[in-house]
Amino acid sequence: MTPAERSSIDDIVDLYKRDVDRTLIRERLSRSIEERLEDLMNFEAFADELREAGRRARLHD
Amino acid sequence: MTDFKAVLRTLAEGGVEFIVVGGVAATIHGSSRLTRDVDVVYRRTASNIARLAATLTPYQPYLRGAPPGLPFRWDAATIERGLNFTLTTQLGSLDLLGEITGGGSYEALRPFTQVVRPFGVECRCLDLGHLIEVKRAAGRPKDFEAIAELEAIREEREKKS
Repeated sequence: MTPAERSSIDDIVDLYKRDVDRTLIRERLSRSIEERLEDLMNFEAFADELREAGRRARLHD
Repeated sequence: MTDFKAVLRTLAEGGVEFIVVGGVAATIHGSSRLTRDVDVVYRRTASNIARLAATLTPYQPYLRGAPPGLPFRWDAATIERGLNFTLTTQLGSLDLLGEITGGGSYEALRPFTQVVRPFGVECRCLDLGHLIEVKRAAGRPKDFEAIAELEAIREEREKKS
């Protein structure tokens, strides 16, 4: 992409890109598509458990 | 919680023609971001709409976020007269899109897909370059972080090859 083709959105995305964890990306790319989807489902289940734990804790406050 | 595996398997085994887009497509390409629903672009032919209606009916699709008790019927007529549906089902959250911003219809997107076979389920997934393009076209500030990650994934892949 030449400088003339760039927009301010490209500059914004570049700012966000500085914070991307490349080691995490390399680790993810070493996994199969099935493993990536399994990870997503496990992560989702874990997030739900945390949310439920938080809800229960608030009830007892 | 959405059972991503079951959603893809159900659509594929029902013979539905669809393309995985959105967060699940990003996961397939290597994203580590959490998504809670499956976004697919479905083909809007009469036969595919009929298959989509029949395939999902057992899982009681309903409009996500709508109050209960609305006279919503999941059938071919409803799909034909609508376009994009954000649904809750017994398998989880499913967004069925007739078209997407920056990408268009199933037919327009199909040349930019790759066939993947997770869990023995064959399905089409939007390729990484076009996934980035449609996210950019959507122009939502909440997507900037996701676009940055997808571009970083593309750069890492290019380094490897």
